[in-house]
Amino acid sequence: VSISAHDIRNIAECDAAHLPGLLLRSQHLANGVLLGEHGRRRPGSGDDFWQYRPLYDGESHRMIDWRQSARGDDHFVRQHELKNAQTAQLWVDQSASMRFTGHAGRTTKSGRARVIALALSILLLRKGERVGLSDGTLAPRRGAQQVQHLSDRFELDDIQDYAAPAIGALKPNARVVFISDFMAPIEPVTTAVGRATDRNATGVLLQVLDPIELQFPFSGRTIFESLGGKLRHESLKASDLKADYVERIETRCSALRDLCQRTGWQYHRHMTDRAAQSALLWLYHALGDGTQRS
Amino acid sequence: MSLTFLTPWLLSALLGLPVLWLLLRAVPPAPIRRFFPGVILLLGLRDKTQISDRTPWWLLLIRMLALGLIILGLAGPLLNPQSTTIKRSDLLILLDGGWAAARDWQAHQLLLDRVLNQAARDGRPVAIARLTTPSTPVFQSAQSWQERLPGLAPTPWVPDASKMQTALQGLNDQPFDSLWLSDGLAQTGRAALLSALQNRGDVEVIETEQTLFALEPAKLSDGIITLHAIRLPNTVDQSVTIRAHGTDPNGRSQIISTITTAFTESATRIPVQFSLPAELRERVSRFDIVGQTSAAGVSLTGNSLLRREVALISEGADREGLELLSPLHFIARAYAPSAELLSGDLTTLLPANPDLVVLADIAKLSTTEETALGQWVAEGGLLLRFAGPRLATSDLSRTTEHPLMPVRLRAGGRTVGGAMSWGAPKSLAAFAPNSPFFGLEIPNDVRVSAQVLAQPDPSLSQRVIAMLADGTPLVTRKQSGKGQIVLFHVTANAEWSSLPLSGLFVQMLERLSQSVAGSEPDMKSLQGTIWQPSQILSAQGQLEPATRLAGIAAEKLFDAPLSAEIRPGLYTHAKEQVARNVIGPDSRLLPAIWPNGTNLRGLSDRLETPLGGWCLILALLILLVDVLATLSLSGRLVSTVAVLCLLATLSSTGPAGAQDDGAEARTPATNGNAGAAVSEKAWQASSELTLAYVVTGNSKVDAISKAGLDGLSQTLFARTSVEPAAPVGLDLERDMLMFYPLLYWPITAGQPTPSLKAYRKLNAFLKSGGMIVFDTRDGDIAGFGTSSPNSLRLQKITYGIDIPALEPMPQDHVLTRAFYLLQDFPGRYTQRDIWVEAAPQAVEKAAGMPFRNLNDGVSPVIIGGNDWAAAWAVDAQGKQMFPIGRNASDRRQRELAYRFGINLVMHVLTGNYKSDQVHVPALLDRLGQ
Repeated sequence: VSISAHDIRNIAECDAAHLPGLLLRSQHLANGVLLGEHGRRRPGSGDDFWQYRPLYDGESHRMIDWRQSARGDDHFVRQHELKNAQTAQLWVDQSASMRFTGHAGRTTKSGRARVIALALSILLLRKGERVGLSDGTLAPRRGAQQVQHLSDRFELDDIQDYAAPAIGALKPNARVVFISDFMAPIEPVTTAVGRATDRNATGVLLQVLDPIELQFPFSGRTIFESLGGKLRHESLKASDLKADYVERIETRCSALRDLCQRTGWQYHRHMTDRAAQSALLWLYHALGDGTQRS
Repeated sequence: MSLTFLTPWLLSALLGLPVLWLLLRAVPPAPIRRFFPGVILLLGLRDKTQISDRTPWWLLLIRMLALGLIILGLAGPLLNPQSTTIKRSDLLILLDGGWAAARDWQAHQLLLDRVLNQAARDGRPVAIARLTTPSTPVFQSAQSWQERLPGLAPTPWVPDASKMQTALQGLNDQPFDSLWLSDGLAQTGRAALLSALQNRGDVEVIETEQTLFALEPAKLSDGIITLHAIRLPNTVDQSVTIRAHGTDPNGRSQIISTITTAFTESATRIPVQFSLPAELRERVSRFDIVGQTSAAGVSLTGNSLLRREVALISEGADREGLELLSPLHFIARAYAPSAELLSGDLTTLLPANPDLVVLADIAKLSTTEETALGQWVAEGGLLLRFAGPRLATSDLSRTTEHPLMPVRLRAGGRTVGGAMSWGAPKSLAAFAPNSPFFGLEIPNDVRVSAQVLAQPDPSLSQRVIAMLADGTPLVTRKQSGKGQIVLFHVTANAEWSSLPLSGLFVQMLERLSQSVAGSEPDMKSLQGTIWQPSQILSAQGQLEPATRLAGIAAEKLFDAPLSAEIRPGLYTHAKEQVARNVIGPDSRLLPAIWPNGTNLRGLSDRLETPLGGWCLILALLILLVDVLATLSLSGRLVSTVAVLCLLATLSSTGPAGAQDDGAEARTPATNGNAGAAVSEKAWQASSELTLAYVVTGNSKVDAISKAGLDGLSQTLFARTSVEPAAPVGLDLERDMLMFYPLLYWPITAGQPTPSLKAYRKLNAFLKSGGMIVFDTRDGDIAGFGTSSPNSLRLQKITYGIDIPALEPMPQDHVLTRAFYLLQDFPGRYTQRDIWVEAAPQAVEKAAGMPFRNLNDGVSPVIIGGNDWAAAWAVDAQGKQMFPIGRNASDRRQRELAYRFGINLVMHVLTGNYKSDQVHVPALLDRLGQ
C-alpha cells in the first residue's frame, strides 16, 4: 500500500494534534503512581545528600564544603548517595492492527499502548533510569528531555498490518518492555524474547486487546478485513466462527504466558475497557522488581 | 360501510406473495464489511454450514405487508360505493340557505363541491337555486358553478311559504334530477315544492341533523330581563349557555352576564331570566347562545332596556341655595344613578316624552298644561306627585276628584307628634301583597309627622299602595288610560317625614318607575315613520354595518317577513333604536316533515371514498420502516441517521435565518409569543434592580459587557446597599427598556444602527430618567471626538437619540461625589474626557463653595472610551479577566474603575441627591479643607 505525501502529511498533522494529549495523559497517569527513589545506600554520584566526611589528605581543596567546615575546625566534604541507573528499552507495536477499537467511545489499542508506554517512561526517567527504544531508533538516555523524544517516536504509525518485536539495539542487562496485541505469528516474538534473554535482559510482555477481540460478537454474513486491508476472510455465518476464534486467541495468550514462564519474563493482558492505571501499576512493579534486584 | 374494488382481478397478484416469501428467504442478505484485527486468527477457519443467516421473519413480513398493500391499493378499493345510475342529464341543486343552515354551511359547501366534482366528471349541467332568494334555475356546466361556490353564503332569513311558491313557479317543465340541501325546519311550501320536483325527476333530500336553538326578544319587566330560548322538539336534556353582551363604561364590548340553563324532558321553550343592576342592564346590547352560530341565536335589544327619562318639576325656583330643603333634591338623588333627569317647566318637558313626570308640591297647573299632562298620562306616562304645604292649602281635588290626582284630599292635612299635637310620629305599615312595594323591608326609623289626608271614598282602598301603621293612606295610585298617577301624601323632602332620608324611598321610586320601562314600541305612534338600518345581522349571527340599505317603513319593519330588503338588525329613527330579530316573540321551531318515500339522507353520511391512495401511502411508510430495519440489522442505522440529521440541519439553517427575518418583519403577528418572553424578562427586571447592557452582536464584546456588569454588581453588592440582580443583555429591537435604570452600551465598529422603533424606545427610556453609558472602548488610541472607527460609529448610532448638549465632565459634577469622591474615571484606559449633559449656563459657583448648586436631573447620557466593562469584568471564579496597567498601579486603577461604576449607579439611582446643598458641610469635612 502506498501512501502519498499528502496522506503522510495528513496523518502527521492528525498525530501532532494528538501529541500534547498523549504527553499530558501520560504525565497525568504517571502522577498517579507514588515514586520512591531507591538509592544505593552508599556514597556515590547522585542528587541526594548522603553524609559529610572529613577531608582526607591529598584531596583537592575544591571538594571542601565550606559552609559545613566553617562551623568547626575540621574540613568536611559533602557526599551524595550513589544512584546507578538501569536501562529500560521499549518496543510499542505501531502497526495498523493496533489502531482498532471496538467502540467509538473507547480508545484504540494503539492509543492505550502509547499512553502506558510513555507514562512508564516518565516514571522511569523521574527515577533516573535510562529509557530508550529497543529497535535502536532512540538510544537509552536519562533526563526529562527523553520524554519528548519518546513521544515523538510514538507518534509514528506503521503501515504494516502486523508487526513483530524489534530488538536491533538491545543493551545487555536491560529491562525490555514489549507492548503489542501479539496478533501476528508468535514465532518472531519467541525469537526476540530468546535473543534478549541471551543478552541477560529480562522484561515483560504487555498484550493490549480490545474486548471485542476476545468476545467476537459477530453474526450474519460478514467480510472481515485487517485494518491495513491486506487480509480478508468472508464468513456466511459469522456466529459459527466464534468458538474457533475464541479458542485460537486463548491459545495465543497461553502461548505467550508459557514463553514468559520459560524465560523468566512476565506477561500481562490488558483490555482497553479497563483503566490504564492498572496496567501501568503492574508494569511499574514488574520492572521495579527487576531494577531493585541488582 | 361496504368495500368494493375497481379492478378486482389485480387482487390475484396476492397469490404470488408466498412465492416471493420463499425467494426472499433464499437470497442471503448483503455481507457486512468489518475491520477486525483478529482476522489473522480467522484465516483458515471454515463455516460449519454453507447457508448464510436468513433474513429475519419479521423483516420478511414487513416487506410482504408493503407489497400486499401496494397490490391492494392498485386494485382500487372504494369505501361506501354508490350506484351511480344517471337517469336524467340535468341536476338541480336546491339550497334552503337560511340562517338554520349557517352553522353547517362549511359542510354544505364541501358536499356541494363533491357533488359538483362528480357532475363535472359526468358532464352534467347543473343549476343551483337558493330558496331564500328564489329564481328560475339556469342549467350551466358544473365548473362554472364551482367557481361561484365560495361566494354562496347563507342568508339571515329562512325560505317561507311565499318564497317556496315563487321557486315552484320558476321551475321549467324539462325533466331533471334534484338534490335538496334542507336545513330541517318546517315550512309550509315544502310538500308542494317536493311533489313538483318529483314530477320532473328523482329527488334526493339531504337534511342536516342538528339541534337548533334560538332566542326570542328580551323583555324587561319589574327590573328583570326575561327572554325565552327555544329549540327543535327533542326529548334529550340539553344545556345552553346564554350570554348578555354589552359595553363596559369605556365603550369596549364585553360579556356582561352569562347564564347556563337546560332544556329538560321534551321542553322546547324555556325562560331565561337575567336579574341585573340597572346600571348593567342598560348596557346590554344583545344576547346570544354560546356555540350557536346562527342569526336566530342572537337577540338584539335595541333601546328596549335603556334608561328612563324622568322629568322633575317643582315650583319655587326662587328659593335658591337651600338644597336640602328643595322638594326635588331627594328625588333627583334617588333617580340619578338609573335614569336620565330632565328639569324645567312642564310645557317644555312634555314634548320630550319623558317616561316619568314628578310634580313636587305643585297644586296649580295651567289648563293647557293639565290637558297635555292628562294626555301624556293616558298614553302611558307615570305621574308622580308629592304633597306639601301648597297642596295641603289648595283646594285641589277637594270636592271632586281631580283627573291628575289619585284621590280626593281633606282640607288641611294633619300633623302628628309635633309640638302642638298629640301622639307620636307614625311609622309605616307593612306593604300589602297587591302593592307594587310588596316585599320591601321597612326600616324602623321611618317616621311620618305630617301628611295630607285622603277623603274616604269607595274606591280609596283599591288605590292605597302604602299606608301608615294606623291605616292612613300614605301612597295612593290610580290608573288613567294606559298610564298611572301616584301621590305621596308627604313632601319629597324631609320636612314632613323621614321617608326621603331612608333607603326605602329609593327602592319605592325604583319600583314605581320600573313599571314604565321596557314597553314595546307602540305601533300607533310609529305609523308612517321610516327606520334606517344601522347594523344588520349576518346569517352567522354577526353584527355588520348596514351600508347601502334603504330605510323601511315602521309597518313593514315589524310585520313583514324577513327578506333581502328587511333584514334582521338594529334600526334607528330619530333617537329611538329598535331591533328586528330573526325570531319574534312566542315563536316555535318545528322540524320539517317529509312525505313517505322521500329519498332522505343525513349530511354526515359517508360518501364514496377511494382508499387506493391511502393503501399506497401506507405501503410507502412500511417500506421506509423496512429501510430502517435493514439498516439497523446491518449496523449502519446510527451512521445513516447521523448523516440524515446532518443533511437536515444543513438544509434547514438557510430557511431558519430567513424565518428570523420574516419574524422581524411581521412583529404584530408574533406579538403574542414575543410578548410572553418580554414579560418574563421584564418581570425579573422589575422585581429586582438589574443593570443592563446593549447586545452589540459581537459575542466577545457582549461577554465582556456581561462579565463587567457582573463584576460591578458584585462590587455594589459588597460595598453599598444597592443589591442588583444578575445583569442582562438587551436587544434594543425586542426588549423593553423602561425597567432598567442604567444601560451600558459598548460601541463596536460593526454595530448596526437601531431601527426607528428602537430609537423611539431609547428616547422614551431617556425621558423617563434612564441613563445610557456609551463606551467607545478606544481610550488607549483615541481622544474623544477623534475619528476612530468606534467614534464614527457612535456618531451614527446616536444620531437618532435625543441627546442634550454635552460638555466634558466638570470638576464639580455630581458624579464626582455620588458615593466616592473621585476626579478620575479610569476603566481599562485612563482617558480624562468623559462627556455628560452640559450644566445650565447661568449657574455660578457661590463664594466658598467647592461646587456649583446644580439641581437638575440625571445626565441622560455619559460618553467615554475607557472600556470600563473590561476593567470591571470578572469571570465565573470571581477573578479579574483583564490586566490593567502594571503591577501595583493595576490595583489602584481597577479600584478607581469600580469606584466610578459605583458612583455611576448611585448617580442614576439617587439623582442629584448628593448635589443637594444640605450635604455640603459633611462633604466639606470629607474633602479635608
